[in-house]
Amino acid sequence: MTLFEVRDLRAGYGKVDVLFGVSLTASKGELIGIVGPNGAGKSTLFGAIVGTVGLRGGSVFLDGEDISGKRPEDIVRRGLSLVPEGRQIFSGLSVIENLTLGLTGRRDKHGEKGALERVHDLFPVLTTHRDHQAGMLSGGQQQQLAIARALVADPRVLLLDEPSLGLSPTVVKDVFDRLIAIAESGTAVVIVEQRAHLVTRLAERTHVLRAGKLQATLTKEDAADEAKLTAAYFGNSGE
Amino acid sequence: MIQAILDAVSLGGVYALAALGLGLVFGVMRLVNFAHAELITVASYTLVMTHQFPLVVSIVLSVVAASLMALLMELLAYRRLRGSNPATMLIVSFGVSVLLQKVYELVFGALPRSASVATGLTGAFTVGGVSITIASVVTIVLAVVILLAMGYLIERTKLGLQLRAAASDFQTARLLGVRSNRLIASAFVISGALAAVVAFVNVVGNPQVDPRFGLDITILALVGIVVGGMNSLRGSALGGFIVGAVLSLLNVILGNGRVYAYSWMFVIVIVILLVRPGGILSKFATKERV
Ligand SMILES: Nc1ncnc2c1ncn2[C@@H]1O[C@H](COP(=O)(O)OP(=O)(O)OP(=O)(O)O)[C@@H](O)[C@H]1O
Ligand SMILES: [Mg+2]
Repeated sequence: MTLFEVRDLRAGYGKVDVLFGVSLTASKGELIGIVGPNGAGKSTLFGAIVGTVGLRGGSVFLDGEDISGKRPEDIVRRGLSLVPEGRQIFSGLSVIENLTLGLTGRRDKHGEKGALERVHDLFPVLTTHRDHQAGMLSGGQQQQLAIARALVADPRVLLLDEPSLGLSPTVVKDVFDRLIAIAESGTAVVIVEQRAHLVTRLAERTHVLRAGKLQATLTKEDAADEAKLTAAYFGNSGE
Repeated sequence: MIQAILDAVSLGGVYALAALGLGLVFGVMRLVNFAHAELITVASYTLVMTHQFPLVVSIVLSVVAASLMALLMELLAYRRLRGSNPATMLIVSFGVSVLLQKVYELVFGALPRSASVATGLTGAFTVGGVSITIASVVTIVLAVVILLAMGYLIERTKLGLQLRAAASDFQTARLLGVRSNRLIASAFVISGALAAVVAFVNVVGNPQVDPRFGLDITILALVGIVVGGMNSLRGSALGGFIVGAVLSLLNVILGNGRVYAYSWMFVIVIVILLVRPGGILSKFATKERV
């Protein structure tokens, strides 16, 4: 059953339109990819979904409820969390303070302790650095913190904007292994990546976003087909 | 000599509280709330107008008045300006300040209202042959207690954590569930309560309240938060303390030349800012900008 649906979403900044009708869906436990070149509108799409970028049309449904146009702090309470581009951890606060802030978005306040324990199992390194300043963590550890901080809110849908940014290949593999585990636990995971190959192999479906529209959708099988992937990514219309 | 030091510390403490109130609001909204002066003024009027009540009641009423006024400013004026350019917000806060001064003038008159508040605090006592004013000691104790309480609130509570997070990146804080309206309203209410403490100490020292009563201290507290570092509450409080203490000491040191106390204080301020352009506690002071 569809848990998360974006329907004909339009968004932009000031006089500029960026998204021209984007639609996608994700079910419980599914991992969905979105790829596309710089400036395609990937971050804008996530911003419009979580309420930090103004909507100009279309809607977002979470478990059947229309959440479009709600404020970011209300959307996260409904179970949709974003790990923003560039991680955006609070570098001046400690690791545990960052995680505590993540708890703010929980619907159920009783499960706080359990949520922190689960994060500890998934990202033990964060427990080691519990009281350290988050800004002192390595890039990979900061990415883990950003994901953990979103996870402690127990999201039903987790959006990640370029989780591989600035990480070495081994660390990227590590992070993606955790994301697969998170999806397997029942969360719908939507990943934006510029490095398309990172997600196409894992994702149920990978959408190619170019110039504010979804230009193609690839399945895992398509991903193996290099030519098809390249064509979808760069567009074959010669525009 | 000892009295001069006590006076410096107590004036420093008062300015630290005023600066902290300004710094809290600046942190969450990037708003330099010039109308903080009118929060101090409304609390002062409340103290004077209710002087016949028991002191505790009078103080509670002044805290309520200033916090309510702060909340109203937020709801009626500043809420619409969220995320606007800081210059726009500063101009609006000037407007709110002038407007409220006019309202006070209409309600209370342009001439000072006066009444002796907390008369028990006006005397002096002698320790080892040195005469010490009760007011300076009480002010210091009050300032220390409130600064410690604020330190606890900011460093140890959930509200404090949210305030710190919002001050460094409000958008990300909201993504995590921090309720922006509620948090900003809390910052205003706390800043109003701090303004009431400042008002209390000032009214005890000088119970002549006119519509511009809170202005001087607010301007100096603003200088303080720039000196200390606008982006840190610790810096704001420290800067406020330095400005208050230096001003008080200059008044003693300069003797007959005390009319130049402000000039000398600004010389010191400029020197500090030349050395640390981002303020004393700024992390960015050593970074090249040009
Ligand atoms: N805050 C903003 N104000 C105005 N225009 C913006 C803003 N943010 C993004 N844009 C514009 O919107 C378009 C899409 O940007 P967006 O950040 O969504 O792209 P992206 O696909 O995430 O790119 P990248 O891969 O570089 O992260 C770009 O043309 C960009 O210039
Ligand atoms: Mg982006």
